[in-house]
Amino acid sequence: MEPGLLLQLLINGLALGVIYALIAMGLALIFGVLEIVNFAHGELYMLAAMAAYFVTSDLHTGYWVSIVLVTAGGFCLGVVLYELLLAPVAGRSFERSILLTLGLSMVLQNGAVFLLTTTPRMEITRYSYSTLVVGDLRLPVLRLNALGLALSAFAILYFVLHRTRSGKAMRGVAQNRAAALMVGIDPRAAARLAVAIGVGLSGLAGAALAPVYSVHPAMGFAFVFKAFAIIIIGGLGNVSGAALAAVMLGVLESLAGGFLPPAFVDALAFVLMILVLLLRPQGLFGRGVRV
Amino acid sequence: MTGNRAGAGPHAPVPRRGGHGPVNGRKLRAAAVMAGLATLAMLPFWVGTPYALELGITAALFAVLSTGLNLVYGYTGLLSFAQVGFFGIGGYASALLAVDAGWPMFAGALAGGLLATMFGILIGYTSLRLSRHAFAIVSLSFALLCLIVARDWVSLTRGPMGVPGLMAPTLAVRGLGDSDLARLDLNRPADFYGLMLAYAAIALALVHRLVGSRIGRAFVAIKLNQPVAESQGIDPLRHRLLAIGLSALLTGIAGGLYVFHLTITDPSVFDFYYTETMLIMVIIGGPGSFWGVLTASLLFSAVPDLLRFTTDLRMVLYGAVLIAAMLVFPGGFGGWIEARRAARSRRRMPA
Amino acid sequence: MTGTALTGTEGRPLFEVRGLTKRYYGLTAVADLGFTVPDGGIVGLIGPNGSGKSTTIDCISGFQAADEGRWFLGCRELSGRKPHVHALAGLARTFQTVRAYDAMSLLDNLATAAQAHDGLGWWQALRAGPRLLHAETEAAARARNLLDIVGLADHAESPAGILSYGQRKLLAIAATMMTRPRLVVLDEPVAGVNPTMIRRIETAIRALNESGAALLIVEHNIDFIMNLCRTVIVLEQGRKIAEGPPASIRENPRVLAAYLGGSPSAGADA
Repeated sequence: MEPGLLLQLLINGLALGVIYALIAMGLALIFGVLEIVNFAHGELYMLAAMAAYFVTSDLHTGYWVSIVLVTAGGFCLGVVLYELLLAPVAGRSFERSILLTLGLSMVLQNGAVFLLTTTPRMEITRYSYSTLVVGDLRLPVLRLNALGLALSAFAILYFVLHRTRSGKAMRGVAQNRAAALMVGIDPRAAARLAVAIGVGLSGLAGAALAPVYSVHPAMGFAFVFKAFAIIIIGGLGNVSGAALAAVMLGVLESLAGGFLPPAFVDALAFVLMILVLLLRPQGLFGRGVRV
Repeated sequence: MTGNRAGAGPHAPVPRRGGHGPVNGRKLRAAAVMAGLATLAMLPFWVGTPYALELGITAALFAVLSTGLNLVYGYTGLLSFAQVGFFGIGGYASALLAVDAGWPMFAGALAGGLLATMFGILIGYTSLRLSRHAFAIVSLSFALLCLIVARDWVSLTRGPMGVPGLMAPTLAVRGLGDSDLARLDLNRPADFYGLMLAYAAIALALVHRLVGSRIGRAFVAIKLNQPVAESQGIDPLRHRLLAIGLSALLTGIAGGLYVFHLTITDPSVFDFYYTETMLIMVIIGGPGSFWGVLTASLLFSAVPDLLRFTTDLRMVLYGAVLIAAMLVFPGGFGGWIEARRAARSRRRMPA
Repeated sequence: MTGTALTGTEGRPLFEVRGLTKRYYGLTAVADLGFTVPDGGIVGLIGPNGSGKSTTIDCISGFQAADEGRWFLGCRELSGRKPHVHALAGLARTFQTVRAYDAMSLLDNLATAAQAHDGLGWWQALRAGPRLLHAETEAAARARNLLDIVGLADHAESPAGILSYGQRKLLAIAATMMTRPRLVVLDEPVAGVNPTMIRRIETAIRALNESGAALLIVEHNIDFIMNLCRTVIVLEQGRKIAEGPPASIRENPRVLAAYLGGSPSAGADA
């Protein structure tokens, strides 16, 4: 195959993969710090995309403004979510939290269908029809923006997790809750921040992708299951593992899409997950945290 | 409601579930169950409308589905989203065997159930080695993978068009001559209702027997306190696989039969709607409460339709109920009853 | 009964551990530990905090994977097997965190403890035939007897969740007796209970021993150990530093030093 096509597929895969990564990292962070599998994570992404659409179409804000607004909104929503719903079940059995978040996802997804119908909507921005052409490569500007935003988000997240006190507190709680308590880390503050960041990342993904894919109530549903597979492949609770696994999956899906029928592309994530479970159950990059 | 509740296993010295009070109590309960079954069986003759029969068929189906989930989640403590996968695999296997290989419905349904069991044991064995968390996620992915395969692997499953044209058989009942009663045309709703009712009764009786036995007690022990159970010689993996396998079998057979009522099997048989509904029934009825879940499944089959909610609104409501349940009453109705019993015992204790 | 060699091999101890080693994240919790428990014997395992007692018993009962080492109950090697395999071979144990099936009645707790040991399989359990009925009846009778012995007969039908801390410890001991074990590992049986309850637990433990089980007891309460055990093993930082009858342990200078200069009496160093 021609190198031009290969490069194009690679870049597409990279763009796809970083979006997967934004969603999967949030999920991994929340699981690592709270031991909660957030079923509603996809719906939060969907909410963000919906919000971005309405903010740009009804309030006529610009593309970049909508991104900032929705990401910040996601962050705040995360705090509210934690205080209202997640904090009460955080210490309890794992099943309770997964069912709670499942209930939330049911309310959000079906509520969106009820209120907004299933008609897909397309957010139009000033970049919507711009494509950067470099030699044989066609790079839609919106996707490039999304890629850039995601990479910036990773950099910021890495900085927060490794260089700030709150970030280290989150990692401490994720690795060894008892020890973290003993050295005086406040688990509630760490958990609150983790959820805020996790939802904020989904918000960023939603806002960045609203103009790229069509916006409809079921859009989160498809992503979230792949996100689950990704965090198993990367290692439950391992945030950087999730990011790497996500990018790998994006690239693999893109490459596979060039050769295989679309059906197999979707199933790829789950097949890989099963392989990882059979051959290396702790994930490719190891469990960042206890399971 | 003295029911077969997880945590209140067989009392010494009677190994069968004796319940409280003398033998008369047990006989009374058995009689009540028989009477209830007889009433349900007569439904087509009282309210023979297609709508009522459809409700009846759905109720019988969900009774089996939710009890299967109860067996895995309520009794053994394993949250599983795989049930709908077993349901659909049973349906597809049965349909494809009938259409491509001319198999009769009952044989196809049984084969579907066995195939579902194999998958259940496979995903159970691979993920339980890791943890319960992994099993939950893998069971979810399994259900989704089934949907994807049904929709996209067209050469195997006929894709979104599904497998139409399923004809249920006509059974001849010997000894009743040639009258209408002597032939059960299972394509008729009334007769199919009879089949589903009979199957549900058998499946539920089997599960009831199992959970009332020492095997059920072992399930509960593993759920309540796995290290203790292990230190007493109980193998958690074997028991969990038994629960998963049996629920997969019963659910798969149910699917294998049900698709003949739908006369078609298509990817919608893997719809997440089934999972959400089953979960509500188990949570409200009370995980680990046999009769609680059964009651909830009958209620939730009938009531939402009667209230004429649209599907989305119904799901929003279910979601809200789920959230409320997890925040406030995770044990469901059965759990509430159990807590009252324990409180009464505590009050009876000497100071 | 006590004294008879159940192993069938003259001179061989009932339980033997060789070269047990367990490491966590670079720290060695247990290093090359070896000891034996004679048939019908009572062996105590003591040592300051962090000496590796809990890790040792978790490993030899199958609840944690050992990095190195082998252990044998009778002729049967149990190294690396799962916990329930240990239990079926005749090794019962209690837990420091005093576990019971809270929602089940005391009788059901004891019946559950016994059920894996009467050799009846799933099919027989479902058929509910005469063999099962006989086994369950006999187990129920034994359960009531045991509850009498430990003084919990009044609450036989009540859920275990209502018991006090000390009563739960008694229930746990009764549960081990239901399995007719050859060796029972007791994990801090008298920690956190008042002196009256200590006496009751000690009586229950002696009854356990008299019924034919050998005992391995981990405890912080030194007096309790010295009073009850015929052999005492002392661990420090994962290694065995002394082994012998209580009198010799009391005077052993290494042991005294290990307990931070104090004398090993009046236990309860939390």
